[in-house]
Amino acid sequence: MQLSLNEDQTQILDFIDSLAKPYATVPMHDVSLALESAELDEALVENGFLDVMAVEELGPVTAALVVEKLARLPFAVEAAASAMVRPLIDPELPRPLCLMEEGKTRKPLRFLRPGASVVVVGPSGVKSFTATEEMIAPAQEDTLYGYPVAFLTALPDAMTAHDADAAEITRAWRVAMAAEAAGLLGAALASTVTYVSERKQFGRPLATFQGMRHRLAEDQVMTNTAYWMAMRAAGTGSQADAAMALHHAQEAAKRVCYDYHQFLGGMGMTLEHPLHLWTYRLKLLTAELGGRGAQGLAAAEALWG
Amino acid sequence: MQFEWTEEQDAFRHKIRDFLHANLPDDWEKFSEHGPASPALTAFAREFCVKLADAGILFPHWPEEMGGEGLGPWEQQILAEEMWIAGEPRGGQYMNVNWIGPTLEKYGTDEQKARYLEPITKGQSLWCQGFSEPDAGSDLASLRTRAELKDGHYVINGQKIWTSYAGLADTCFLLTRTSEDKKRGITIILVPMDTPGITVRQIPSLIGEGDIHEVFFDDVTVPESARFGNEGQAWEIVGYSLRNERLGIPRFTLARAALDRAVQMLKAAGDFDSDFVRIEAARCAALCEAAGTANYAVVQRRVDGLAIGSESSSARYATVMAERAVCEFVIEFLPEALAGASPYLKMHHQRGIVAGVAAGSAEIQLNIIASDVLELPREPR
Repeated sequence: MQLSLNEDQTQILDFIDSLAKPYATVPMHDVSLALESAELDEALVENGFLDVMAVEELGPVTAALVVEKLARLPFAVEAAASAMVRPLIDPELPRPLCLMEEGKTRKPLRFLRPGASVVVVGPSGVKSFTATEEMIAPAQEDTLYGYPVAFLTALPDAMTAHDADAAEITRAWRVAMAAEAAGLLGAALASTVTYVSERKQFGRPLATFQGMRHRLAEDQVMTNTAYWMAMRAAGTGSQADAAMALHHAQEAAKRVCYDYHQFLGGMGMTLEHPLHLWTYRLKLLTAELGGRGAQGLAAAEALWG
Repeated sequence: MQFEWTEEQDAFRHKIRDFLHANLPDDWEKFSEHGPASPALTAFAREFCVKLADAGILFPHWPEEMGGEGLGPWEQQILAEEMWIAGEPRGGQYMNVNWIGPTLEKYGTDEQKARYLEPITKGQSLWCQGFSEPDAGSDLASLRTRAELKDGHYVINGQKIWTSYAGLADTCFLLTRTSEDKKRGITIILVPMDTPGITVRQIPSLIGEGDIHEVFFDDVTVPESARFGNEGQAWEIVGYSLRNERLGIPRFTLARAALDRAVQMLKAAGDFDSDFVRIEAARCAALCEAAGTANYAVVQRRVDGLAIGSESSSARYATVMAERAVCEFVIEFLPEALAGASPYLKMHHQRGIVAGVAAGSAEIQLNIIASDVLELPREPR
């Protein structure tokens, strides 16, 4: 057991910090529902941050740390699937990667666009195809989620079948989402703490009221444990750990998304404050892979049969 | 970061398990229904801890200069986990090796070390914590039990309440007031429990017989040398002790073991097919896992030589969430367990419901997280 970051991990996270510095805050006067940056994406790819999992001395925990770190940015980056799932399917699959449960075509897909690789995971295995314009229907323009999303209107007749175990890919997918949620949870908490520490009502900062302090403290407990469970699940490779990590992250997401917008009051209803860039990504992740119930059933199966 | 135990750590865990398997009686599970502070378990622990000492697993985490083997915080964690899952056969003596011994070593006089450490290392002493008072629970710093220094002796008057182990303890780690300066007016005195003027009354409880007491001090007189640390130093010393105590009991392990037991009982009864029950069980397991990871993060801080601060409060609160979930799960789906069908689950329930109260209430942990982890501006006083 060794839970400190090793030297490589510290260096990688520091490097990401400096590389992502221009993207650490929302551009002045920006009131977007979702933020993306092609330059940031390109820089991450160029510097190999999405390929760390395959490096023997780095592996899946380091990939999870990278995903967690990037999720803290207000900009949405397609990192989780590429960094933690793609290496198990085909490291050469074109990005962005859109993971889809077999038969769940009604759900919006994150980062879906022409040229994206759609990976379909389910009972009939792991298959992929490259999305083209005619298979994609855009979501409505003012979709609230902090990710770019779109719908698939049709599946191609032919898909590439991969020599990968669907259960193992689903496990990695859960861990990847748990790591991404952990970063979002951390950033949303930090953003809320800053606001309620500065905003005064009744002559004192909101954060001095115990009604808020205790809820924020409980949110910290959920956030801290979501982080550690994601890292642990990445490290152990266990089906049960993966399902519990995503279950816990989804549980935490439901709780904090409500709390934080409450605490920001009117400001939390606006696009002037960036909170939604984390919370609305979290909200969409609560639906990932069937939500808490599906994670719970998967965990129960892995733990007790 | 890596999440596997080393071979040595695995071997240490197996050594403890083998020892427990060889030395716990066949009816242990039923026997452990007696609370850790019960006369039955206290008497059992006095024999059992001697065996642990002989086997070198009573205090292997203590530094070598204290007679230990200097094993690290992970080994201490493993030891605590295995003992707690087994129903804590050390009874109240777990406190001795977790925090009383190390606190004696850090703050005690040579005389105090000579007097108190040896019985601990031989598995022969039982301590109680004289902390809470009728008007000083979570607001511990408002305690009023007074110690007055007269002619080289402290004369103690006052009352403690909800004191675990007091009925059978040899020594009380007693918090007293020596001046009106709130936190800086509190002083620790180590009081032998057979000192004249001490009256102990048991309070009937939900958590097992012999666990909770009120203790009265009427002109209890001890020499000045019984003072532990300086006058007014109690808050600092207790802070040091409680940080060990907050991490001391790995309750999440017993909660998880109890959950596994409950699931096996539900399966045997054919009642573990419902998706709802399975999802609820998984939610409990996830909360146990969450508490485990938070606790381990704090253990890592100890390994790294970092101060254990408010992170332990966050880990404690995660543990309270796990305990609550498992206690509620068992009652909702296996109500018979607490009515005779499972001594183990009843034992867990009685220990689990203490999680949010003992060693600083859950709400106090939230206050600490708010102020010291999140660094929110303080509440006005």
